[in-house]
Amino acid sequence: MSMQALNQLVARSIIDPSIVQNFAEGSISEVLRELDFTSELRERLAKLSADTWAEFAVLAYRIVKSVEQIPSPIELPSPAEGLITEESQIGKEQVA
Amino acid sequence: MTTITREEREWFLRNLAYGLLEYMGATSPPVEVEELLHHPPPIYGFDFGVVDMYSNLWDATFARPPSRRGSIFVRVNLPPNQRRFALAREMLSALITSKHGQAMGLGDMLMDSLQESAEYFARNLLAPEPMLHAYQANADEVINFADEFGIPVEIAKKRLHDVGTEVH
Repeated sequence: MSMQALNQLVARSIIDPSIVQNFAEGSISEVLRELDFTSELRERLAKLSADTWAEFAVLAYRIVKSVEQIPSPIELPSPAEGLITEESQIGKEQVA
Repeated sequence: MTTITREEREWFLRNLAYGLLEYMGATSPPVEVEELLHHPPPIYGFDFGVVDMYSNLWDATFARPPSRRGSIFVRVNLPPNQRRFALAREMLSALITSKHGQAMGLGDMLMDSLQESAEYFARNLLAPEPMLHAYQANADEVINFADEFGIPVEIAKKRLHDVGTEVH
């Protein structure tokens, strides 16, 4: 989702001068706030240092790409919880 | 300026093309870039002219006479598919040299690879991936593809190569 948000931002920037203006004025965080980035990623992007908007975009691309390439851990239930959830157990008791 | 890779440059160019496509509201081929040049986004009102010329030297070239509107000078007798591609390619020069393009820093990033960048940009503007995927569902001949998108066959081959599609 973050890369999609960045793609949309760069695409919009070619016709919307307010994005580049916000960047030039050091207030790109205001634009980033409207987009679908995690708060941590938004903070990292807002701290980027770049001479131009185009350079900012590429540096942002590197960060977003590196974040999206990290595989998310597989979420398995804890062995301590057992395979039957409490909710389904309750359901069976009620049927009985 | 940070050194950028070809992949990063192409990502950036793809998104610039998408921004313009979205502005145009183009959803199916052929993408009428000349309409965009005649009715540009307000920030390019001083950059997107088209002037027909008799020339045997080149198909099209962008020029910005001092204190005057920038225009793409295009050979008057080009076939429509070549004209469409030439206009799309030269549009990148119009963007780079525009006031907004300068504010974005497009020149710093793209001038060293202008021709390659302009052609990649044009291929993405005329055959963006979403349209390409929809098209490939019902045809696989490069000539049909070129006809459908209104682009020269050589450009169609390159575009299919861009997206890793085998050309028949």
